[in-house]
Amino acid sequence: MLAIGIDIGSLTTKAVVMNDGQLLASEVSNTLDEADASASVAMTKALEKAGADDNPEKYVITTGNGGKEVSFADGSKAITTCLARGIYWYAPDTRAVIDIGAESSSVVKINNRGRVIDWANHDKCASGTGLFLQQMAKLMKLSFEEMSELSRRAEKGAEITGTCAVFAESEVISHVHRVPPTPLPEIILGIYLSVSTRIKTMCKRIGAGECLAVSGGVALHAGLVETLEKELKQRIYVPQNPVCVAAMGAAVLAGEEIKKELQQ
Amino acid sequence: MTELSNNKIQAIVRACRIILRMIEADPDTRESQKMYYRMLLQYYTRLRDARENGQFIVAHTVFFPAEIILAMGLVPMHTETTTWMTSLFTGECSDILAAGSSMGMATEICAPHRGMAGAFANGAIPKPDVMVWSNMVCDNTAKSGELVMDICDCPGFFLDRPFKDSDLEKAYMADELRDMITFLEKQSGKKMDYDRLSEIVERTDRQIKLTREINELRKNVPTPFSPLGFLELLTIDYLFPGQPESVEYLETLKKEMEKAILGKKGAVPNERFRLMTLFIPPMYLMAFLERISIRSGAVSVIEPFFTFWGEGTLDASRPIEAVVEKSYMIPEARMYGPLGESALGAIKKCAREWRVDGAVYYADVGCRHSCATIKLFKDTLADVDVPVLTLDCDVVDQTVTSEDEVKEKLERFFELLEDR
Repeated sequence: MLAIGIDIGSLTTKAVVMNDGQLLASEVSNTLDEADASASVAMTKALEKAGADDNPEKYVITTGNGGKEVSFADGSKAITTCLARGIYWYAPDTRAVIDIGAESSSVVKINNRGRVIDWANHDKCASGTGLFLQQMAKLMKLSFEEMSELSRRAEKGAEITGTCAVFAESEVISHVHRVPPTPLPEIILGIYLSVSTRIKTMCKRIGAGECLAVSGGVALHAGLVETLEKELKQRIYVPQNPVCVAAMGAAVLAGEEIKKELQQ
Repeated sequence: MTELSNNKIQAIVRACRIILRMIEADPDTRESQKMYYRMLLQYYTRLRDARENGQFIVAHTVFFPAEIILAMGLVPMHTETTTWMTSLFTGECSDILAAGSSMGMATEICAPHRGMAGAFANGAIPKPDVMVWSNMVCDNTAKSGELVMDICDCPGFFLDRPFKDSDLEKAYMADELRDMITFLEKQSGKKMDYDRLSEIVERTDRQIKLTREINELRKNVPTPFSPLGFLELLTIDYLFPGQPESVEYLETLKKEMEKAILGKKGAVPNERFRLMTLFIPPMYLMAFLERISIRSGAVSVIEPFFTFWGEGTLDASRPIEAVVEKSYMIPEARMYGPLGESALGAIKKCAREWRVDGAVYYADVGCRHSCATIKLFKDTLADVDVPVLTLDCDVVDQTVTSEDEVKEKLERFFELLEDR
């Protein structure tokens, strides 16, 4: 029986197919209006990649926004539980995972069995999220890769607020248009620092201090991860497929359920 | 009946009547709960009809010693609780909160105080003859009392309660109380009945002892008291201190709990999570919180700042001094007093003795003082391996958090507890 994990995010839906603890395939597709449709599209594509039959025997666990509304799921789990199990599958030494998604960011502290000890999240404002970074990239007409590259050239970061995405955007515009304009590398580093400060506060709040990993689409922002490492004074583990960590955790949990069923 | 536009007191009275009719017809409802609603109905009916009956209304803020008002035969109006009850029974307070905001009160100000000011301003609750308030425990009250005097154009008295509890400071507060009694006597034309005050103090002492005994029973696994029943205990002290019906309510509740324990009957069908509650849940979500608690097998077994009384007894032969003493024994005093080992030690003791699995901190955004303690309490409970869920919310303002958000976070937390 295949273990399938599906994470419905606000922008993308991730599906992971596993068999007996082994990763077979993963898929990232756009989130649609209906949770059922989002989950179905991502799962079908992931199953195709895994070379599975048309209608294989499977156990499906969902998570994320609307995860509970997926009619064909066998169960649903909290995103925190899935992030913990997912990162534990990648790197069992991890003790906290920083997840920066499109519309929220969180830090989940885990124990040596991949169980959640505590978490902190920021979901009241777009500051410190993927959408905020996307907006900033658009404003400066840069790709994420270009932003990362430019940030490495900065000696210091421009002052940019980390509390409000709207204020932050105004500040960036002001930096771009002032005479002389603030150099782009400094603005970008300032943006990364504002995100990092917010993450650092969450880490402090729950006592997440060592063996950190990062997940979510923003983990692909190399420049941001490097800034986070400097701020948190440690190397941060980036899994091979950071976008799919929660879906991976859901698949791991589905695998645990399959085992339980087999034992009964 | 006093005619008021958008009369909130009348709305509370009607809601209490409807609930009472429903629960009195339900054979499974505990008798103590029926008594509780009868008391609420009586309290708010008396307040509603006070003007018509020529009675003198004394508005007072939270933790204010209502024993004094009751001993003088005056009609008390607990301002914050009245805002809560409005939210609890009518489902929302947006109109009175908006009225408070239109007077320039920022949304960051404690919503019960904001709502109270708005309710007085738009005539949703009767204007008092006098306003009495204190800095006892909650700092917000120190200024909002003045505001109420201004809105209602009534005289007022500020009772200064010292922060510390040396003999000198207690004697100072006793003098303050005497001054306040003189003020109330002058304004109302009624004399303080000290014999009656002694009787009230004696019963208040009995109430505290009964609450302690009830809490002992709550240590039982499964716990016999309803998931959010502690709010009844809290209201009993806030609105009915030293009243014969309070003692009767607590004695009935205690007997019911003893019976439930003998029958091995828990408050929820399948007790899975024993919780500690820190601060006040949103009133407008109470029905939802009750449902999710029952469904998830989660029950609040102890509340260090609401039901866990400090040590001490009240000496009815010295009633003024006893009222002073009570102000230092009230559970909330721990949270607002010096946050030393006595406060933090109490949290740990509660966690251990009531076998708590997790704690829920309802972080009311308007209460700066309590929010400032979140990290400290969280770290303290981490020492005894009790995880804490912090829920950003407001006790009456629905714009701060939604039911979906609270549901999602509670479910996440229950999953964490189960998965440990």
